[in-house]
Amino acid sequence: MSMTTQAELSRRDRLKTIRREAGRALGAALIALGIAFIIVLFTSKAPLEAFNVLLTAPMSRPRTIGLWIDDVAKLTITGLAFSLVFQARQFSMGVQGQVYVGALAAAYVALSPIGATWAGLPVGVFCAMLAGAFWGFIPGIAKVKFGANEIVSSLMLNYIAIELCNFLVRTNLPKPQPGVLTTNNFPETAVFPPLVDGTRIDLGLIFALVAVLAVWFALYRTSWGLKLRLVGHNANFAEYAGIRSTAIMVSAMTAAGALGGLLGSMFVQGQTYGYLTVLFEGNLAFEGILVAIVARSRPLAVPVVALFYGYLRQGAQLMNLRTDVPSEVIGVVTAIIILLVASSFSMPGRQFWARIMGRSAAAPALEAQK
Amino acid sequence: MIELLMTVLSTTFFVTVVRTTTPLLLATLGGLIADLGGALNVALEGMMLVGCLTAVIVSVFAPWYVAVLAAVLAGALLGGVMAFFHLRLKADIILVGFAINILAAGGTVFALTLATGGDKGTSINLTSKAVPALDLSFLGVIPGIGDFLVRMLSGHSILSWLAAFLVFAIWYFLYRTPWGLWLRGVGEYPAAPEAAGIPVNAIRTWSLLVSGGLAALGGAQLAMFNYIGFTRDMTAGRGFIALGAVLLGARHPVGALLAALLFGVFEALAVVMPGLFNWIPAELIRMIPFVVTILALFLFSYRALQARRLRSAGH
Repeated sequence: MSMTTQAELSRRDRLKTIRREAGRALGAALIALGIAFIIVLFTSKAPLEAFNVLLTAPMSRPRTIGLWIDDVAKLTITGLAFSLVFQARQFSMGVQGQVYVGALAAAYVALSPIGATWAGLPVGVFCAMLAGAFWGFIPGIAKVKFGANEIVSSLMLNYIAIELCNFLVRTNLPKPQPGVLTTNNFPETAVFPPLVDGTRIDLGLIFALVAVLAVWFALYRTSWGLKLRLVGHNANFAEYAGIRSTAIMVSAMTAAGALGGLLGSMFVQGQTYGYLTVLFEGNLAFEGILVAIVARSRPLAVPVVALFYGYLRQGAQLMNLRTDVPSEVIGVVTAIIILLVASSFSMPGRQFWARIMGRSAAAPALEAQK
Repeated sequence: MIELLMTVLSTTFFVTVVRTTTPLLLATLGGLIADLGGALNVALEGMMLVGCLTAVIVSVFAPWYVAVLAAVLAGALLGGVMAFFHLRLKADIILVGFAINILAAGGTVFALTLATGGDKGTSINLTSKAVPALDLSFLGVIPGIGDFLVRMLSGHSILSWLAAFLVFAIWYFLYRTPWGLWLRGVGEYPAAPEAAGIPVNAIRTWSLLVSGGLAALGGAQLAMFNYIGFTRDMTAGRGFIALGAVLLGARHPVGALLAALLFGVFEALAVVMPGLFNWIPAELIRMIPFVVTILALFLFSYRALQARRLRSAGH
């Protein structure tokens, strides 16, 4: 077979995979939204209006589009962080904690004398990433040195980081008046400039796009990335091939931690806040699980998924404000999408229904098809 | 320091420890059952939370024991969902578990809004019931130690006694019945029971159902005894701490009891410390259970690792 046809075949193969995965994700989203609609139908006084707001409101005004795009940038970063650890088959759940320590580091820099100089912005971002990386490094090193389960340790670090932030904001960081749980506004030099005036779209969007390319490059164009993916596939085999899988695991969690820290600085140095406050993150960090799973942990797919999911999230917020349906209903949608996409569910429903019915006769046939 | 020592050695502190340990212990036992069946149940947190809300809402309309039973069934239902997606549809158990947590976090607030007619924070305007405490004041007639026994043993939630009994019951089930052997075999090396004709998937499904039920029972204790009523995210990481206790407990019910007790003691400390030391910031006191969990996890994992190394060196 000549080179050109081979390249052509692999390209066609890849397109087919993308089509299949996109179909699965859309199918899952439709099913989840359908279930959400049924729930809203039974619980809301004006279900059609609520659903109309959910699906159309984010597009309605420049301001809401700004909110949406700002969410997309943040979802992209957390999705990338989860993608990195998932590709190494680690289940570090520490992005939330990394966001808080990152934000703390950024706040300390921004409110120090450095913050008022041109260096305030870059040094703030850098220190946030450093703090996040350290917070991501702890569960990693504890796993390889002590054999401590990274899920539990990273979750504990989340709670610790949240309380640490509460504590430092209340007692240590400078604030406009005693008693409030927010810091002084950061000097303008430490705040991300807006890209579109009058919206929340700011430099964070650029950071998100750069991060997508950086993670893609690191995973698919460097030997570190190849090793990381090998470790994720089969750690024993990777070890046998002479890869120090423990070092790869720790470095993957540390790199993901740096992304979490970056997200922290995007929150507090971005147009949304420009100061640090307690509990600022609004449970966005954990949404990275959904983004990474639907994107199949592929960095280039992450922003696409974030675009769709950010729209849904924004729609839910607006639905919460304008109708009687609380935004939390979106948690149901999220959970169903994760369950469907993570399972062997597939759109042309034959095998799916066969599995549901537990017809074991279908199973061997299924294996043979693979 | 003396005040702290006096407090810790008092019988009221013991009662507080029992109260804080009970939800953790029930969830830990649930995690243990799932773990033995070969599934790390990261959804304990969500199952507890759903248990809390179900217990509170049902108790508005029904007697307390119906509410507790409803909570258990709700938890078991979530376990069933996990089993279905993990065993039938081959989804990763950790991802399924986190999906359940997300479902629980959003779903409970959504259901709370419906039940209270718009309140997204607490169930304060619902009149929910409590699990009764077991009154053992008749022990006071015992000469000498009667008074002490009453202060130690009387006034605990019925669910605390049930939890203590369950430690024994689960031990008996695991080590004295064939099904317990099957469950342990399924988690250890599924191919062997499979070859012996034991229904591996059915056992795993049951272990997840029981796991969910136990975690939700812990939630019922939390929302019907430790606190009366539901507040959003009221489990506040207890399910994850219980998951840590599962890992610490060396896959044994007594180990689970000791691990849950360890975390329960520190949670109780966090309860009594603000009253004693008002100069310690509240945030740092609230941090205690999480710091203790992570440190204990590191320490015990390290010891287990070394024990494994020693064993393999001996061979």
